[in-house]
Order: sequence, then C-alpha cells, then structure tokens
Amino acid sequence: MRLAVSLKLAKLMGYLSRKLLHKSGETIPGKVLLTIYPRALIVLSQAREIALVSGTNGKTSTTKALSEVVSQLGTTVSNKTGSNLDRASATTLMSPSQYAVLEVDELYLPRLIAETKPRVVLLLNLSRDQLHRMHEVKRVAKRWKAAVDAAPDTVFVGDVDDPFIGYALSDAANSVRVSFGGRRHGDGAVCPACGKYLQWNRDNYSCSCGLSNKNFDLERRAGLAAFRNAELANIAGAVLGAPSISFAPAVLERVIERKVSGIDCSIRLVKNPASWSEALTSVKGESVVLILNARQVDGLDTSWLWDVSFEALRGKNVAICGERAIDISYRLHVAGIENWLEADLPGALTHFNGASSVEVLAAYTAFFKLVSS
Amino acid sequence: MSAIRIVRIHNELLGTYGDQGNAEVLAFRAKFHGISTSIIDVTYEQALPRNGNIFLLGGAEDAAQLLSLEALKREKTLEGAIGDGAVLLAVCAGFQIIGNTFWADGQKVDGLSLLDVESSPGKKRCVGEVKAKTSILNLDLSGFENHSGVTTLNSGVQAFAKVSSGYGNGDGRFDGAVVGNVFGTYMHGPILARNPQLADLILTRATGSAFNQISDPLASKYAEIARKY
Repeated sequence: MRLAVSLKLAKLMGYLSRKLLHKSGETIPGKVLLTIYPRALIVLSQAREIALVSGTNGKTSTTKALSEVVSQLGTTVSNKTGSNLDRASATTLMSPSQYAVLEVDELYLPRLIAETKPRVVLLLNLSRDQLHRMHEVKRVAKRWKAAVDAAPDTVFVGDVDDPFIGYALSDAANSVRVSFGGRRHGDGAVCPACGKYLQWNRDNYSCSCGLSNKNFDLERRAGLAAFRNAELANIAGAVLGAPSISFAPAVLERVIERKVSGIDCSIRLVKNPASWSEALTSVKGESVVLILNARQVDGLDTSWLWDVSFEALRGKNVAICGERAIDISYRLHVAGIENWLEADLPGALTHFNGASSVEVLAAYTAFFKLVSS
Repeated sequence: MSAIRIVRIHNELLGTYGDQGNAEVLAFRAKFHGISTSIIDVTYEQALPRNGNIFLLGGAEDAAQLLSLEALKREKTLEGAIGDGAVLLAVCAGFQIIGNTFWADGQKVDGLSLLDVESSPGKKRCVGEVKAKTSILNLDLSGFENHSGVTTLNSGVQAFAKVSSGYGNGDGRFDGAVVGNVFGTYMHGPILARNPQLADLILTRATGSAFNQISDPLASKYAEIARKY
C-alpha cells in the first residue's frame, strides 16, 4: 500500500479509537500505520531532523525539555505523554514538522536509531527496571552499544557517570560524554565492558580495561536528576544548533498536583529502585502516601522494594495503598517503619484529615490513573 | 545460642533481584523468637567469616555471578562453615554457583559442588510467579522467578519444592534442591519475605532449637495473599 493511503487509514483508525473507544489516540494510528506500512518510520523521518531520548528514568520530562529547546529552531513534534514504543513514535511522525523529538523505550531504541537516522540521541541512564521484560541491565546496555557503534553519523550525548552509558558510548564515532562529577550507581559493581570488579573511588569509577567516567568531553556541576536532565537536554539541543534555555520546574519534575478528598496532593511518579530513592530524598512533609501496583509497565516482580532504603520515611505518617500495597507495607514493617495499609487513596487520605498537603509517590499505572482522572 | 550471625555474601554482585531482603526478614523473625542477630555484609574483596551461622547468596547477572564464584573459590570458608552446621540459602544465580557446573557469559564453569546439580542455558527465559510446595515443611510457597538456566538434579538429590505453577528448575516440575542445611532455589520475592515460615525453619536449623509459632498477622496475611499472585 502507498504511504499516503496508509496514513489516511491510520488517521481514520485513530479518529475512531478516540471517538468510539475514548482512547488517547497516541498508539493506535502508529500501530495501524506500522502494520500496513512497515517502513513508515524510515520514510516519515526523512527530510526532518530527529532527536531521540532514552534511559531508565527521566525520559518523559527530558523529552519535554529537549522539545522546548528544539522548538526554538522550527516546527517540532514530540510524544510528550510517556507513550514510547515504536507505534507512539510513528503516530508522532504522522504530523509534518522540521524537527521531531521522540521519547523511546530502552528496548526499542536500537530500531529507532536504525530507522530514523537521528542527528542526536540523548542517553540518560540505565538501571534496574521492569526486569521481567528487560531481564538484565547489561543486556540493554549491550544492545545500546551495538546500536551506537552502527550509527557513525549520529551524535550521542550521554551521562557517563553511569557506567552503562560510559560503556554504550565507549566506541562511538560521535559523542558528547558528560560528567557531573561522578555518582554512585546501585547496579554498578561490575564493569559492563569487561566483566571485572569495577573500581569505585568515592563517586568515580574506573576499570583496568579503560572504562572510566573521567573520560568526559564536558563537565557540569553535580545536582539532582532534574538538574542533570535539564543540562543534558540543553547539550543535546546545542548539537542541533539551539541556544540553551532555563526550564520551569514543572517541565523537569514528574509531579502533578491534584485535590483528592479535599486534600492537596503532590503526586510523583516512581517506578524502580533508582527513581524511588530519588523521590524519597525529596519528601519534605510529614504526610506521605505510597501507591504500589505491579502490572506490566510497573514491573511484575516487586522484589526490588528490598533494595530501596525507606529510612527517609521513619517517623513520618505513612499510608499505603494500591494493588500490591501489602508488599510495600510488609517491607516497611520489617524495617520498623510504621504504616497504615489501606484499600485506596481516599482510604489512605482519611489518616491525614486536616493536613494541608500530602505527598503521594505512585507507581506508573497508579500515577497515570490519577493523572487522567 | 544467644546471637546468630547472618552473612550476606557479595550483595553488590548478587543483589540484582532484591534477595538481600532475606537477611532482613531473618533478623526480624529472629527478634520474635528472642534471638539477637547481626547481619554481616561481605563484599567481593573481603573474606567470609568462618563463624557465620546463616549464609545467603542471591540472584545476579552473568558477569557478577562469575566474579562471586571466583571470590568464593579463593577460600574454602563456606564449605567449612557448612560442615560445621551453618545454613546456606542460595537463590537463582547463587543456587547455580553452589552446584557442580553452570553456564555464564557463554562458558561452562565449575561451581562449588555443595549441591549435586548441573545447570545449563535453557531455550527460553523463565519469568513469572512460581507456586510450589516444599516437602521439608509441607508448606505452600510463592515467589517470582527470572532466569534462563535449566537445572537438573543428579540421582538421589532432593528437590527443594514441587512446582504447581511456573518453571522452577526449568521443566515446571520441581524447584531448587536441598541437602542437609543447604537450600537452593530459583525463587525471589524475596523468598523469605513471602514465606516467613521458611525463615523460621532456617532459624531453627541455624540455632538447633525449635521455636513456638509466632504471631505476626501482617506476615501471615502477606504470605497468604502472595500465594494468589
């Protein structure tokens, strides 16, 4: 089938799924298009500049940030809501533009690099996430390295304080290796390049095979993930010729504000040991709700809860809900951190009557349910 | 016995699937039994204490598994401690390490031979919930597995549990192996968090004394709910 006809059909299906099934319409058109016109990503990415963003954590906010940077240069399309499989990319590329900034799932990144021939790819970080699907972090890093090595015309921007990113970029023809002064990595005991015991000197790693975060092209000051991602977005934007900008905090934080049962809730997305640890360090108040689900995108296995330190919650008022609330409740129970186990968020919030605001850390599917309600 | 030493071996290497929680659950359950404990973390670069009462090995990626094996082969401490009556719980990559042979990063290597089993790469990855019944306690267990190894038990070796749902050692019939105080299993969860009675059994074996049933309603409720995951 010709592309023009395929596009029409895909758009029609997207329209129908929105109207009849009340879906967001982000994946259906792309899915239809890729089914009837498998080369769609290749063809639709020609004649425009493509930037890709991938990593375990921070993809959506960094894509939003990079999209803002790139928009200064010309018309830009982007998948901004977190849908990041090949079909979401195809849906995004169905709209004409001069630039496209695409958030890409870690396992789909090699295909997107091969098919869209991006000018720049931003590699944020790799750590444990959805292991039922990713299996092993090294496996993802290995695929990334092969994709990087096969794309000599693409510029790869990456945070090499993460040894998996350092490894993925170790033989890149064109790269901007960024260091924020080093940072410990929860899964960084083994050199991803050679399998030896990775040597850590405080926050910096080095291996006898040569892998080290001291091999950088740019150095930036240390900061939290939101800060680092903003810097990386500007560095990737500069590859395309865009001037740096400073971002509103809302762009960089995956936090939404909602009033639930009359209480102001700051709801933050959390999904794996690294993002839970980051989120727990930013808990400011005394009233906290944790929501845990374990569906496909949350990760089916909750064993990783035992790798997160919940010490930041000690002494606070903690209520827990969600489909797998008991997993996390027992985890805290063993750590000696008191908590209330409740069926749902309104139930959890009954413990905070009179509180001016409550911080909610929500697993992926729980977060999106709250965002869309 | 007043205090028991729980030795968590190479968690920085064997900590990919949350198995470090097994140590915390043991220490927590021990408190109910009136036993004091200490958790001793031993890294790849350190020597194992000979006087440990419970040793724990967890799941890992291939390269990390090989490093852990290399470190354990530097000394015979683990073998010696088990000979003296210490308990070993080895999960997933750890279970393979204590067998006769296993495969990692495309090579076949000799394990510690604490269990007379052989592991080899399977055709597909075994991922998902496991439900099994262990003959030791006649206890229904639940856990989560994520491995591509297939483990076969040599004749006379007792399986750790009979699988009712999931893959276990790869064929969907049995999970793990057990000889004396050495337990091998593919179950994460961590296994002792989801099956606290197993933690009690390990404590009983380590101390040599039987305990009364303890009351921790949340633990019992979690075990019961998790068996339906």
